[in-house]
Amino acid sequence: MNTNTASISSPRTFQLGPAISDLQQGLAAWRIWWALGWQDILLRYRRSQLGPLWITLSTAIMIYSMGFLYGKLFKIDLASYYPYLATGLISWTFISSVINEANEAFVENAGFIRQTCLPFSIYILRLLTRNFIIFLHNFLPVLPILIYYKLAPTALGVLYLLFGLMLLLSIGYIFGFLLAILGSRFRDMKPIVASVVQICFLITPILWQHSMLSPKFQAFTNFNPFFQLTQLIRAPLLGQIPSTLTIVYCLVLALAGLALMIVVLARSRHRIAFWV
Amino acid sequence: MRFGYNSMSTISLSQVSLDFPIYGANTLSLKKSLISLITGRSVQQQENSVHFIRALENVCLELSSGDTLALIGHNGAGKSTLLRVLSKIYTPSMGKVNVQGRISSLLDLNLGINSESTGYENILLSGLLRGMSRNDINAKKKGIAEFSELEDYLALPVRTYSSGMQLRLAFSIATSFSPEILLLDEVMGVGDASFMQKSRQRLSELVAQSDIVVFSSHSTELVRNFCKKALWLEKGHVKAFGLVDDVLKSYDAANSNPKAHG
Repeated sequence: MNTNTASISSPRTFQLGPAISDLQQGLAAWRIWWALGWQDILLRYRRSQLGPLWITLSTAIMIYSMGFLYGKLFKIDLASYYPYLATGLISWTFISSVINEANEAFVENAGFIRQTCLPFSIYILRLLTRNFIIFLHNFLPVLPILIYYKLAPTALGVLYLLFGLMLLLSIGYIFGFLLAILGSRFRDMKPIVASVVQICFLITPILWQHSMLSPKFQAFTNFNPFFQLTQLIRAPLLGQIPSTLTIVYCLVLALAGLALMIVVLARSRHRIAFWV
Repeated sequence: MRFGYNSMSTISLSQVSLDFPIYGANTLSLKKSLISLITGRSVQQQENSVHFIRALENVCLELSSGDTLALIGHNGAGKSTLLRVLSKIYTPSMGKVNVQGRISSLLDLNLGINSESTGYENILLSGLLRGMSRNDINAKKKGIAEFSELEDYLALPVRTYSSGMQLRLAFSIATSFSPEILLLDEVMGVGDASFMQKSRQRLSELVAQSDIVVFSSHSTELVRNFCKKALWLEKGHVKAFGLVDDVLKSYDAANSNPKAHG
């Protein structure tokens, strides 16, 4: 079998320096990605009559109706189910939107990428900014539930929450970058990722509680990265402290992901402009 | 003519070649790439391979402060690709690129223009994209409003503008921030007759303020007016490089000779 791919091969280069400086310059250009992320939100406001209320209201309707329905279906005490569902759902919304939108982060910004030389990390940071602002909107309807069921976080809980948010944002940045690179090279990523994310939603404890599982399945679910990522936010909001397993799992995920992301970026950074 | 040699800008390209990858339809699909990886062979070779087109071949170029260079050549000769290499958008496959100085590339006037946002919001964002601070941008706002003749329209979303108004806004923004190295792609005056006059004037001011100017154009008249040097590209090769009159003479001679069509 002879390979008849008749093409001049481009040199397979590995450029670590430009990859690292892309990450540094991207963070330094916070004015740009902050403005771009805000622009995305403002335009969303403008398209709807309700303005800023729109995002909050749709989340509120979802949380309150689903909480009532599934609470009755599963025959669980609403005092335990409502807060679990609400905090889990807003964490999941953030995680899944970052994953789903990351595929197209570079393709969407093709106009910028082909016409100007900006660090690629800007487009990932724009996506994170946008989704973090939406997360804050989604948090508002959760507040009454937390207050009603008297789940005020302690000072330590707030620290854990801030730590969890930072870690979740970092993981979103790292894996968002990887997905964005893959998504600019392979154009059929979006539907594939969307269906995988959909399945993950069902097998991750969000609509149902982790404690509903038998101990054997609980141990199994501990390997689900989406469960551990959700726990980073959900646990401190429910007045719990994230387990050591959750924190170690997420830190290892972040570090392993970062190493992989830097390698992939060093290999492909100079090609992204040709791909988009 | 020009003022301010306080910064020394240089452009140096040595033996720069660029292979432009062309992806077959199937190579853009993750599913199909995985299948052909697993099965080890593919049914349609043509669709499955990545081809490379040599867009630039062995280009060498040295420019320093005070140089104005015109890129001439037919469509597809590599002018825009070379401008993108200078803008550090494309990394060359071979050779070295060394550019010292703050680059502003006017490759596409509409860069960063969002049609849903208002004129003022677009001014702010475009300024930020060019590395300005909010205070610097606010200082430029009035000038942009006056030059574009849009004034009160700037508070409305850009999608409500006519195409001529959009171009005026884009041009006014893009030419308000003075760079050290100015790269222009076929951008020489926009709008109706009166605005065209004004925009040419604005461009020649911008050219005079910049340390190094590289611009691609099909108009020999503009090339003669704006540039001292010229680089003639043909199919990615440097056909001629030198003083503008010499290069244009051989370029015109080649084009008027029917046997040597490009």
